Amino acid sequence: MKKLVSRRKFLAGSGAAASMALLGCDSTTYLPPDVRGGLMGAADVLTMATQRLLLSGQPLAQEHDVSDITRDFPTWGNTNPRQEDYQDLLSGEFVDWRLPVGGLVNRPMSFSLEELKRLPQRTQITMHICEQGWSAIGQWTGTPLLEVLRAAGDVTDEARYVVVDTYDGWYEGYDMFDVVHPQTILAYGLNGTDLPLGNGAPVRLRVERYCGYKNLKFLKSINVVSSMAGIRRGTGGINSDNDWHWYAGA
Amino acid sequence: METANSVYRHNRNVRICHWINVIAFCYLVVSGVHVFLDFPELYWGKVGFRGHPAVFRLSDWGISWDEAGEMGDRRWGRNYHFLFAWISVINGLVYVSWNVWNKHFRRNLLPSRDELTRQSLKTDLVDHLRLRAPEAKAAGRYSVLQKISYFIVIFIVSPFMILSGLAQMPAFTAISPELIDLFGGRQTARTLHVVGMLWMILFVLVHVFEVFVAGVVNEVRSMITGKYAVQGEDTE
Repeated sequence: MKKLVSRRKFLAGSGAAASMALLGCDSTTYLPPDVRGGLMGAADVLTMATQRLLLSGQPLAQEHDVSDITRDFPTWGNTNPRQEDYQDLLSGEFVDWRLPVGGLVNRPMSFSLEELKRLPQRTQITMHICEQGWSAIGQWTGTPLLEVLRAAGDVTDEARYVVVDTYDGWYEGYDMFDVVHPQTILAYGLNGTDLPLGNGAPVRLRVERYCGYKNLKFLKSINVVSSMAGIRRGTGGINSDNDWHWYAGA
Repeated sequence: METANSVYRHNRNVRICHWINVIAFCYLVVSGVHVFLDFPELYWGKVGFRGHPAVFRLSDWGISWDEAGEMGDRRWGRNYHFLFAWISVINGLVYVSWNVWNKHFRRNLLPSRDELTRQSLKTDLVDHLRLRAPEAKAAGRYSVLQKISYFIVIFIVSPFMILSGLAQMPAFTAISPELIDLFGGRQTARTLHVVGMLWMILFVLVHVFEVFVAGVVNEVRSMITGKYAVQGEDTE
């Protein structure tokens, strides 16, 4: 019972945050953590604010039929991180892989793959959309990020972003609007098998309303923070650090 | 200088929006090409990726995947494509609402019933094909073929470009999956976005060609000052 209450409290909290945001009280729903200068920043804000307004009911991304699944799901970008710590885990078939969840959570902890799989799971057949132009449909199985944070004792009141780090040196920040979305999952399965190496083994992030570049692969750690300032270049993620859009709804 | 021989042809809103649109269009085309060069294949349906059957491959035209990638700067392309998409959309909304409100569209752009007869269309087509500049009396207003092509580009192709652009965005898989289905899938929307661009480039080429046929100095001046000389080459 206690668990249920705490989950309700968390959902109620996020609901309150969402309605606060709708009243204009929480800028994180409508603004990137670091707005670029000039017209480019204005366009970023217009895009994010408009799309977030249209998404304010938190609709699910379209889910497809089993017959739509792309059997040989493409791999793109890094398909095998050369980092030594990753190679060690890979050769041990990820038995020693642990996902630390820390920062602004009430009970920081780390999860093995088995522990992650014991949490409630979600399977969704969705389209992966790469900003470069390609798309493919995959059946993803994983643990909702919300469930992982709940298992870590829920986030504290100051929490605004969840920072995800990967073994190949990528990192991205996600605001609570996307964190609480039911389709935001830590995926360990693709098309009924373990997540293949090229697709981000052992666990990758699925944030279905974002382009591929915010769907990080090879997850290393999760950190809940109140601000993205001071993390690397402070823009909120590796993509925006390199002058790409932080908000990846397109 | 105001003379008896000039007519006031374009209102200020039309002139300002026209030149903003010229800049936005150029940026949208160039940045769009940069984005395309980074993934120089087009597909049909919901999914498409390297190795998937394509309806167009740049490599079939002598430019390999890697060469195309080196030619394109997708970071620049993405940033400017979305910036000028907004500029273009806002400019278009201002233009359309202003000119619906002041009845410019109804008065000058909507073809009348008389103009839509076979005879009138034929006459105008022959005039255009013979590169005959409009007569002085008619020069102050649009010919029927002009009206039809402007109507198509403003009310059909422009919204089509916006919607086929939105249908490629992951956020729209949640905001409006119906939109993506309407296009027949994300890859079809992407391909049709390119087809729409080619249509628009064709429109611009014909438009600019006609400007030269009708007299480039007079035409460009009329789009800057609003005044269009209807007799003689020099009215100033």
